[in-house]
Amino acid sequence: MTSQPLPVLPSRVKPRLRGWKSLLTHQTFRRVVQLGFAAFILVVTLQHVLAGESSGNVTASPEAYCPFGGLETLYKYITSGGSFVSHTHLSNVVVLVAVLVTALLARSAFCGWVCPLGFIQDLVSGFSAFLRKRIPGLRKAMNALKKRGSRLAFLDRYLRLLKYAVLAWAVIGAGVYGVMVFRDYDPWSALINIAEFSFTPGLVVLGITLAASFFIERPWCRYACPLGAASGLVGKFSPMYLKREADACKVCKVCTNACPMGLPVHTATTITSADCMGCLECVGACPREGALEVKIGIPLIGQK
Amino acid sequence: MRINPFIFGIAVIVIFLGVILSFQAAGIWSVSGKVTSGGQAVQPSAEDVNTIKGWMTLEQISTVYNVPLADILAQFSLPADTPASTAIKDLESDTFSAEDLRAWLESRMQPVESEATGVPVSDATPTPVVLPTEIVATPLATEHVAPEKTITGKTTFQDLLDWNVPEETIRQIIGGDLPALTTVIKDYATQNGLEFAPIKTAIQAEVDKTK
Repeated sequence: MTSQPLPVLPSRVKPRLRGWKSLLTHQTFRRVVQLGFAAFILVVTLQHVLAGESSGNVTASPEAYCPFGGLETLYKYITSGGSFVSHTHLSNVVVLVAVLVTALLARSAFCGWVCPLGFIQDLVSGFSAFLRKRIPGLRKAMNALKKRGSRLAFLDRYLRLLKYAVLAWAVIGAGVYGVMVFRDYDPWSALINIAEFSFTPGLVVLGITLAASFFIERPWCRYACPLGAASGLVGKFSPMYLKREADACKVCKVCTNACPMGLPVHTATTITSADCMGCLECVGACPREGALEVKIGIPLIGQK
Repeated sequence: MRINPFIFGIAVIVIFLGVILSFQAAGIWSVSGKVTSGGQAVQPSAEDVNTIKGWMTLEQISTVYNVPLADILAQFSLPADTPASTAIKDLESDTFSAEDLRAWLESRMQPVESEATGVPVSDATPTPVVLPTEIVATPLATEHVAPEKTITGKTTFQDLLDWNVPEETIRQIIGGDLPALTTVIKDYATQNGLEFAPIKTAIQAEVDKTK
């Protein structure tokens, strides 16, 4: 008796959730998690600003929770036997380790689920989408702009390499000079120190990032974030990946449109890009059962 | 193996917070330079000016380094009525920074050879210092002029040449060619990633030779 291969069954369309049930998705869960971490940083910042430096109470600066500070101080911490570059503490190193361990197991999920700067960019992009939905004139203008901008799309792949240069500059600079050379240009640092009313290049970078978020999602993460670059590189060794089942997929491109990092999900077989931040927006947006799934496989070789 | 997106999200949070909480449980955690991981308050060390941090107050510096508050204020042209409880970082300007303060205190700590006996003598003579409970600021003129031929955060390379420090000596100390003579030495050090304190000490020693 010869065995015949089973015919591929057409994939089912996911049932549409209505009412309050439509909120019971992993995307809602992700937003709640992002909001929780952003609220924590806001509380820490307010506490630090209100208590003041000269107070007898020791309040943590929000910078103490920045994982990139850990990366900048790591060289000095190791070579000097425990001292840190200015503005960093042991907590920075610990949070960095947490980010890298997360990356090792779940790719750059820190960027997609935790990072408050990423969340702020998501909020601006969400607001932009809200306006476009309600103001037809704006929608038309944005579409026209997008059409014109598509001629520059070839630059995207080169600009994405910029973040690795920023990473190298920030880490090597901190190692050589013993100070955080990136701090003055860091939009996150500018934001959490905004109460100091000091004008830094980082404030300009923050303004550009927020303005750009109105037109494209996660511009800072795509092109310039050194922490995302480090996390992405470590994440290449993660067992977690996304798999697109070609048999179930109808190539509707919804996943690609949903990806905040602009990855071409609908043409890929497996999504193992260093830019994937594990937000699972593509999985949530996919209208078909089993077409796009989160999977675990042996890193580098077993993810097919 | 397939993973439910909800499980993935929970796993991310558990891993991220789990690592942090594990370190905290092991006592490997500190969010401020003001306290050690054991919770003890950090104080500047009288032997090492590099332990001075921007959040430290003038009062702490005055007490630990045995320098009258008025001297600190006068040296850096700070207003005479500056409260002793002010943090160093809150006073930072073109003429004053934690780095300047470290360099100045270090130069005060250098033993000076007595010409008569050759015995090292500290110039830090006992002087009244600021007490934590009572702060008395001596009224001073707001415009302070540094003692003649003293390297400060404003000294330029032109000043050194005017004080007859040989160009070759300056080159050796900074490890390179002289920049534009109007360049402030401290700015040159910062721009080139050099520490100002050792350069200042070395140049001051050369300036002293010309006196």
